[in-house]
Amino acid sequence: MYAHLGKAYSPKKILIIGGGVAGITAALDLAASGASVHLVERGSFLGGNVAKLEKVYPTDHCAFCHLWTEIKKCMDHPCVTVHLQTRVKKLSRSGRDFQVLIAEAPAYIDPERCIFCGKCRKACASDKKAAGIHASSGAIHQAWEHASPPFYQVDFDMCSRCGDCQTVCPTGAIDINRPEKSVQILAGGVIWATGFREADLSSLKEFGSDTHPDIMSAMEFEAWAGEQGPCRGKVKRRSDGKTPKSIAFVQCVGARDRRLLPYCASVCCMHAVKQAKWVKKRKPEIECTIFLTDLRTIGKDYYGYAKRGIEDHGLEIIRGRPGLILPLIERGEIAVKYEDTLVQQRRIRAFDMVVLNGGLEMGACQPAVSKRSFSKEALGSTGALTRQEDERACGFCKGPADMADSIIGASAAALDTIILNKVKY
Amino acid sequence: MTPKSSPVIVFLCRCFGEIDRAIDLKRLARGIARSRSIAAVEIRDSLCLVENLDELYSFFEKDGADRILIGACSWRARGASVIGGLARQMLHPANIELVDLREGCAWIHEEKAGITYEKAINLIDMGLAALEFKGKTEGTAVDTCATALVIGAGPAGLSAAVSLGKLGIPVHIVERKSEIGGMLTFISSLYTGNRDPNEILSPLLEALESDSRIKISTKSRVTSVDGTPGNFNITLFTPEGERRFSAGAIIVACGARPVIPQGYYRYGRLQNIISQMELEGRLAKASIDAKRIVFIQCVAARCKERPYCSTICCPSSLKNAMRVMGAVPGAEAVILHRDIMTQGVNLEDYYRRAMSMGIRFIRFDPEHPPVIEGEHQVEAVNVYDVLSGKYLRLDADMVVLSTPLAPHEENGELARILGLRLDRHGFFSGSEPMHPLTTSVDGLFLCGSARWPVSADQAVLQGRAAAMKAFGFLTDSSTKAASASGCIPGPPAGSAFVETEICSGCGNCVAACPFQACSLLKSDQSTRSFVDKIRCKGCGTCMSVCLNGAIQIPENNTRRTREMLKSAFSRSGIH
Repeated sequence: MYAHLGKAYSPKKILIIGGGVAGITAALDLAASGASVHLVERGSFLGGNVAKLEKVYPTDHCAFCHLWTEIKKCMDHPCVTVHLQTRVKKLSRSGRDFQVLIAEAPAYIDPERCIFCGKCRKACASDKKAAGIHASSGAIHQAWEHASPPFYQVDFDMCSRCGDCQTVCPTGAIDINRPEKSVQILAGGVIWATGFREADLSSLKEFGSDTHPDIMSAMEFEAWAGEQGPCRGKVKRRSDGKTPKSIAFVQCVGARDRRLLPYCASVCCMHAVKQAKWVKKRKPEIECTIFLTDLRTIGKDYYGYAKRGIEDHGLEIIRGRPGLILPLIERGEIAVKYEDTLVQQRRIRAFDMVVLNGGLEMGACQPAVSKRSFSKEALGSTGALTRQEDERACGFCKGPADMADSIIGASAAALDTIILNKVKY
Repeated sequence: MTPKSSPVIVFLCRCFGEIDRAIDLKRLARGIARSRSIAAVEIRDSLCLVENLDELYSFFEKDGADRILIGACSWRARGASVIGGLARQMLHPANIELVDLREGCAWIHEEKAGITYEKAINLIDMGLAALEFKGKTEGTAVDTCATALVIGAGPAGLSAAVSLGKLGIPVHIVERKSEIGGMLTFISSLYTGNRDPNEILSPLLEALESDSRIKISTKSRVTSVDGTPGNFNITLFTPEGERRFSAGAIIVACGARPVIPQGYYRYGRLQNIISQMELEGRLAKASIDAKRIVFIQCVAARCKERPYCSTICCPSSLKNAMRVMGAVPGAEAVILHRDIMTQGVNLEDYYRRAMSMGIRFIRFDPEHPPVIEGEHQVEAVNVYDVLSGKYLRLDADMVVLSTPLAPHEENGELARILGLRLDRHGFFSGSEPMHPLTTSVDGLFLCGSARWPVSADQAVLQGRAAAMKAFGFLTDSSTKAASASGCIPGPPAGSAFVETEICSGCGNCVAACPFQACSLLKSDQSTRSFVDKIRCKGCGTCMSVCLNGAIQIPENNTRRTREMLKSAFSRSGIH
């Protein structure tokens, strides 16, 4: 492949930790240049947090349509080995390389042999033991909506190990005694792309996180109200299933806040505008109010998107961070106490739903591994992964980044890894 | 497109009862075996499992037929793996047709068992027609010329060129100006941390000098680009005359320009109202004679004429305000802003540090913009502070107008030469949101402020990212059409093809093609359309606008669709 470049080049295996947009991009870029890549993902599917989004700003496209093509390319690429439901057990240096031990959770249903006939699912759902745990369905679910080819997966926590599924499977794809698979990889480079997770807001009592079912985080709201969610795209309250009359989107919750995360998570202002706009498109009569500090529109055409969203859909913007969010149980409402800084008045207003947004922690990676491989200085005071000799980080785990920034950073990290490998060997 | 006449083998998949529960496959086999074009009908338990695929192929080999019709599940389910498996055995996808009998027939009509047989017959009939008229796209690869052209020698372009050089790719850089370094030559320090621009520039220049594979043409511009992705023919206008060469990939890194605030806030009419770039120059020369400085943000940005936020002006003002505070003892700096754009970890920290240094931040309302007082010289700035709800009078010796970066006026011309489209502000556009640096033309990549205003650090990062994309593109020794390279999941889409005898040269396809793949070839006698098969993505837009049906995609041509519809509704063929 490299003959026409006039120089021999022997790429080593590259390990990528995290299969979100950044990880996928880095894997595909490396694979395009001929390197062989191991992509390790903790979850049961690729796509990370972006796959959980309903729409993406600033185009309002479905996140998954774009992602699906990339996931498919990753799965089918001869140079990319995807390890799903896999954790990195050990990561150590051996000379110029990395010795990596990964543990892949057993695939009880072999995706290569599953024909998606659903016999196992029916057998599992009719099983009394499983039905006791989960009323409507058993432990067997479709791996993820839009998987191509579609296949079933066993939820380990729900499985009672009765073996009924094994007997009904016509292709012999199921083996519930399959052991965990440990794989040893000698990697020439490591790219961290572990993304973000929502921070635990319970220490910030005034925001009332977890005190009421209708106070939810932005990612919870996305999952709750999305087309693929339990409401199938209808906006409903989680407490009583009624359509809310008003929703408050509260920004900078736990972010730009020295008590929790001192930094700005960069993506949440646009995310709130997107969600509010999307609610308005479905039900224009729902009042959407966004409480924010600064409307940060950092990226190509984000300002135009936010401005159009606010003006065309009549989103109410209040500058100020609420001081107290309190569920009023008898009235079934949530009181929000805030200072409207534009009119210098303290007010209390009742909302039907509250979405908390902003507290995004960098690098949702396994602490055991991150402690072992990153020194304290590298992790920094904020927990951000920073560059170390020959390990690279990209995407949100390196520093708050939206989709475009993560993708650009991933390509750059892939390039650095190739150059580094070229120098090393 | 002449119909093919070689015999067809039909494989029907039982899918372990999923299909034959609803469709009587034996009856179906007897029914379709009467058709003239079918050589044999085989029923299998499952076609998609590895062990069955091998058997399928061996059966197929000894029978001598070269076309195959598969009645199984949909392409999205396991159909793709069946065809993929056969294709790996050197069977061309043009000779395989997949008929969806599971999702599209057996499952969806499970309750109405009566209609599944009829529908299956119809589907197979349509499949036979499709197979008969399915063509094959040929000539979809060119030899890759493993060199790159980088347009612009700013931080983004230099970083892209140096990175590609390190990977052994020869690079040619074109710079319009006589100096290289782009915006880094105008600004005297970088945020965050008041760093010297040479911190970025020097290593790039060093790498540039030590790498003999990188050539630079200054005071030059690109005058024409033709050829195909992977092998573009480039013409440059240089002071020494015209230069022509080939390059496999092109990286656009032409940057952006700072807006001069002419016509805003009495700029040019009062002394000591300067732009951010002028302040950069004064700070470099340490010639600041003012103590009370007011910065006004969003000048000529986030307004009617320029409805976008350039995002780098807030941190630039923070940086310069902090420099003024450091350079002039007893200086007072006030920043009048609408929203402070300091995202992420470092910039938010920077903002906090600026506040702790005593820099005042006052939010103003665009409906009541600040007013500058003074007759010849700036005396004060009146501003409505939205936080306190009061009008404030700020004494000032100097006002700094913070303006955005705007696209170069030459972008339009460059976009025309490259066959790209600009966004509504005049910046280059990538394929948002999944491929921000990749354009609609293969082998053409973007980075830096040509796409959207970015900081110097971000420009360098984007340069590396674009270099990665270009390197991945140049690695393969032949450049294939996107539709044939397997990078688009699904059945091969094929590339458009013009039947020159029927083409009237009207140019409808040229106007309609979103990928600039169609062009008109003019000769003495006639004008005919021509399709660049490497650029073509097989979308079929040209087919729909062609008045004569002269432009066709062999894999999915009009005749094929017509025959499929005919067989679906006429009930000839098998019946």
